[in-house]
Amino acid sequence: MVRILFIVFLCLLAPGLVSMGYSLWQGPAAWSVDSGVFWGMPISLFVFWIGLAHAGTLISAIFLVLDVKMERRTSILAELATLCALVVAVIFPLMHLGVIQNFYMVAPYMESRGSMANVCSPLVWDFCCILAYGLLSVVYLVVHVLADKSAVAASIHRPLAWLLFPMVLWVHTIVSLDFAATFVPAWRGAFFPIYFIVGAVFSGLAMVNIMLCAEGYRMRQLEKLMLVGSWFLGAFLLWDFALKGNLSVTVLVFAVLLPQLMFVSAVRESTLGRVLISSSIIVGLLLERVFLVFPSGVMGFGWVDLGLICFGFGLFGVIFLVARLKLSRVIEGEEVLMGEVEETVPKRPATGRFSYFAPLTTPEFRMLRFPLLLGIIACTLFLVWVVGCLEENGIAFSDANLVPLTCPIITTVAGIVLCLRPLVMHIGKVGGAVMVALAALLGVLAGMVYGGVTSVPSGAVVSSTGDMLDVGTLPDSTSTLDSVAIIRTKAVFEARCAGCHGADGRLNEKFVREYYPVPQNLDVSRMDALGEDSLVNVILNGRTNMNPYAGRISPQMARGLVRYMRLLAETPAVDNAATQNEGGDE
Amino acid sequence: MTPLMSSLACVMALAQAFFLWRGKMHILKEGLLLFGFFCISCVFTLLVGSPDDPQIEHYPLRMLALCLCFSTTSLPRYRRRYLVMAQAFWLWVELFGGIALAYRGIEFAWARSLAIFLLCCCSTLLSRISKEMEFCLMVFWIAIWILF
Repeated sequence: MVRILFIVFLCLLAPGLVSMGYSLWQGPAAWSVDSGVFWGMPISLFVFWIGLAHAGTLISAIFLVLDVKMERRTSILAELATLCALVVAVIFPLMHLGVIQNFYMVAPYMESRGSMANVCSPLVWDFCCILAYGLLSVVYLVVHVLADKSAVAASIHRPLAWLLFPMVLWVHTIVSLDFAATFVPAWRGAFFPIYFIVGAVFSGLAMVNIMLCAEGYRMRQLEKLMLVGSWFLGAFLLWDFALKGNLSVTVLVFAVLLPQLMFVSAVRESTLGRVLISSSIIVGLLLERVFLVFPSGVMGFGWVDLGLICFGFGLFGVIFLVARLKLSRVIEGEEVLMGEVEETVPKRPATGRFSYFAPLTTPEFRMLRFPLLLGIIACTLFLVWVVGCLEENGIAFSDANLVPLTCPIITTVAGIVLCLRPLVMHIGKVGGAVMVALAALLGVLAGMVYGGVTSVPSGAVVSSTGDMLDVGTLPDSTSTLDSVAIIRTKAVFEARCAGCHGADGRLNEKFVREYYPVPQNLDVSRMDALGEDSLVNVILNGRTNMNPYAGRISPQMARGLVRYMRLLAETPAVDNAATQNEGGDE
Repeated sequence: MTPLMSSLACVMALAQAFFLWRGKMHILKEGLLLFGFFCISCVFTLLVGSPDDPQIEHYPLRMLALCLCFSTTSLPRYRRRYLVMAQAFWLWVELFGGIALAYRGIEFAWARSLAIFLLCCCSTLLSRISKEMEFCLMVFWIAIWILF
């Protein structure tokens, strides 16, 4: 059975790799993109896979902290599936970026490499959350695997689950804000955070159920949860329809109506029936993500898009099966119920099921209070630094923009301290101090390397088609643009530059919200300080996330563009807000 | 939404909470009840809210969260844990709904979120919850709902 599945997934992966390679080579033009929002298949697949990447750990952690009994093999399978789905999920936003080699710019490392990380952008929040979630999920799985053999691992398993519980919900909430914080009317929804969580958990439950069926296990509670999930998803779909008039009947049928067949005992009791219902949910949720990302309608869906879908499933299947085989001894070991693992913790009394603890005295709280305190301190220091950087550079922000960064920072620091603490206690104070010093040193070195490396142009993404655009004759650097040159330059500026810099030269607000670094705000004083030659050089050769335009426009046109931008910068900004709002509402 | 309708929503949440967690707990039964309450809240919001007001988008979820908070007072066991979790859910709805709305120019309701956060933190300090304390908590929740 495993071999057959492995071959099936390999067959999916092979064409998927071709599609992936073509997409990386060709860039965003390769896959279908919504004409209104410029987002395409990679974002749909990212949201879909990140949703699947939540359920495993979520189920495992929630069941553990709520004292719900769950077989260890089931929870380890679910956690493994989570990690594999996470690996698949992170590939797609990297593809979507276009400048894949600059992916690290999304890290909120404020002023490094000459550009300011945009902490107001949900993409930066995504990066922080997914990094923290991935790290903690790996640690959680390792601790879980070791928990039945090591008392130390068992002692931190439950506190770690308490840390992971809010984190996993936080991640998908932040993913929902990628949509909810935009101008696109179809994505406006203050209910999106909970709606996305429901969708993610629902699809994840279906995935875990398929895996359990493949393993020959069954978990009735999971099936009931799937049914409840389908009702809530249906309610959210109808609520969305009531507010905005959007409703996909296909999604409703696959993800809401078909799962109701679980009420039929013949379907429920058959493995094939359960697999088909779960697959229907997965398909429904995948379609739901696709329709969500394409509010103008899916057009130009081609082999690349299909290939990317195959790539996701194929890669997930191959990684999961390999990891499953490697961990088979652990998964198929003796039947230890998760809820019983905590009984090995010496501090927690095992007298009776419903033990009462006075406030702030539970074993988990005792273990977590110090790591959490450190996490809160680290987060506070980071936020103070961020606020200082933003104010120093005159970048507008709201306190609400910074809230999403808090949980990943606190949780990561707390998780690391929680796991290191027993280790430090085991190796003694001197060894611990040495380890902390080494970690600090490594951190400083990493920071120095990251901040100190010179900026590299974002690659030769140069079109080979068409003649170079020229503004005409600009004899010297002091001459000004005449009216003809202004018209020509304006046309080029609006075609090539306005997408990011805004038609008025004061940044496209949609771009600023969605893109990860804060683009340079080129006012007159800034432009004069940088100098015309320097700006011409940036246009021609690129800089960090600015693509090079040498070969597509002539040096004269680049100089013309710089002067046109200066003209725009000299124009009073009175009517800019109105212009931007008009553009934004379109 | 008018203050009168907002108060009515609060009463509805209180009434719905009465039906939750009664007798032996079954996932399907409780899930169906919550689903039903959510649908009722959606219909209520559509009927009394203005379609042009973006704040109605997460109003049914706010009602559901308030209902969950009220319902925790009738739980037989693990009351402090679920009390905190229900309030955390309410805070979640308010916080992230507020952030989504803030990006559209609607002022973030800091007072409400802070009040729920403080109440949530204070709830972790509660020892065995008496009837009087249950009443106080319900008064606090209603006050947050009505005043902020």
